[in-house]
Amino acid sequence: MISGNSFKQTVGTSSIIRNKAMSVACVCALSLLGLSAALLTRAAQQDPTSTPNILLEGDWVRTDTNGSGDFGGLNANVAKAQLTPAGEAIAARAGRGRGGRGGATPPAAAPASGAKETPHAAGQAYVLVSMPCNGMPGNGMGSFNPDSGGFHLIVGKTQVVWAQERGGSRIIYIDGRPHPDITNIAHPVYNSTGHFEDGVLVVDTVGLPTGGGIPGGAVRGPNTHLTERFEVSPDGQHMKIVYTYSDPSLYVAPHTYTYTFDRAAPAPTYAFEEWCDASDPIEGQSIVPPAQQ
Amino acid sequence: MVGSPGLASRLYSSTEKGPDRELIAARNGGSVKNFIVGCLAIFLAATALTLRVGSAQGPYDSQAAMSNNSSDPRDLSGFWALSIDSRQIPPAVLVPTVTKTAIEKREKADQKAIRWCNLLGMPYIMDPGRPIDIQLGKREMVVFAEVPASPRHIYLDRSAHIDPQIFDPTTNGDSIGHWEGNTLVVDTIGFHPDRGITAIPGGGFRTATTHLVEQYQLLENGALLSVKFTWSDPKVYKTPHSYEFHYYRMPANYEPPPGLPCNQYDDLRTQFLGFTPAAVRKPSDVPGAR
Repeated sequence: MISGNSFKQTVGTSSIIRNKAMSVACVCALSLLGLSAALLTRAAQQDPTSTPNILLEGDWVRTDTNGSGDFGGLNANVAKAQLTPAGEAIAARAGRGRGGRGGATPPAAAPASGAKETPHAAGQAYVLVSMPCNGMPGNGMGSFNPDSGGFHLIVGKTQVVWAQERGGSRIIYIDGRPHPDITNIAHPVYNSTGHFEDGVLVVDTVGLPTGGGIPGGAVRGPNTHLTERFEVSPDGQHMKIVYTYSDPSLYVAPHTYTYTFDRAAPAPTYAFEEWCDASDPIEGQSIVPPAQQ
Repeated sequence: MVGSPGLASRLYSSTEKGPDRELIAARNGGSVKNFIVGCLAIFLAATALTLRVGSAQGPYDSQAAMSNNSSDPRDLSGFWALSIDSRQIPPAVLVPTVTKTAIEKREKADQKAIRWCNLLGMPYIMDPGRPIDIQLGKREMVVFAEVPASPRHIYLDRSAHIDPQIFDPTTNGDSIGHWEGNTLVVDTIGFHPDRGITAIPGGGFRTATTHLVEQYQLLENGALLSVKFTWSDPKVYKTPHSYEFHYYRMPANYEPPPGLPCNQYDDLRTQFLGFTPAAVRKPSDVPGAR
């Protein structure tokens, strides 16, 4: 039997125990809640769909899905860019800008518009490129819009490196860094950052040098954003890159087109080196036209 | 503590006496508030701590970006720079057939490669005067420099070189690598004998028969990268020629500045290098040209 005092003491002690137990429970519950929320956030950050797609790494060559057989045909299905007057002005200055590794052919070598081309004499070469091998790697659009040369993607911890056989390498930072303030950079230089969405590498590029050389007669300027989506097929053998140029000052509407690629084969594949020596006279001249039948 | 008479009696008293009861009730109220505040503090601290741990693998960690070391002994990826104290290069022991005349001829060829902005290749790409970028992928490690040079591809997914009957020699050669502990061992053959800068630090030059072995190893908790180069070539070296570079890791947030121009049609540059400017070729320079 419990005496009156003992009962009161017991009730008081129980009260302490209950209060402390509730406090401990409160601490535990809130801590667990906090940890759960944090772990959920962290889990979202480590979403496997946002991890680098290792299938992206390797050697790639552009495909000609239209069977066009030449550079003009390759881009024939690209819709014409809808440019603002400012964009048209850049396009007019840039010309066709189809790329290539040499300087412009002298005007005298190009037939006047509408003029009928005369065939070259059989057995005699002619000047095709007056300043061969000219140009700075990575300064044009070669590293964005590859042509017949192979290119290689290496997926590192903080960068995806794009290495072209025709010169020009490109760094895509995938460590979450923001773009730098490109207005403070004296030279025109672009900056690319990327992240993975369901295995697709999504790249945003700013700071493109002003000019053309983009399929569809498109142009680029200091405020242009280029978004690229690198999507590899599930078997890892094919890839497409969807390009979208956005710039309200140059485009009436964003300009989009797609390139397709195959993984180089057969294994083992490796990078070729495209040699270009401007001191070699043959670099700038044509093949020797054969006698016509 | 539950059986403590002092505490028990105080609490007991609070149920019995008016003033004490108010005092203790106030105390209890204060305790509840303290508990809530404490719990909230723990909640926020736990959340912040866990998010901070997560942020190193998720969003950009600007603090980590200032770091120039790595806890992973194989983390070769990053920008690396050579400094004034980075090179340990003994003189090479050359075979007698490598005469002064042969060396001078090579030097002239190297100057011509610079004048014409040719791809410069190995070993120049490993000491180009600006930081080099090394990125370690699953299949290969790439090295590139902001000079006229092809990126250097070191393949990690094969243990044999491409058949020399198939491989067209290049300025960088065919490189394959494998790990021995935490040292990446790279083996290179297939060098082009004439293209690019062929001079090797310490003496000698690369030829079609040159064989290079490199050992890459991180030091100082990843802040330094040691690369030991060993060149062998019976046409050039009496004994294998070895030297070592220590590269400093650049901070993780380093970004290379715009590339420097190399314009082979710049007359001032051409004359500065001691060459006669070349005329731009016109159609009339080639017989039959339009």
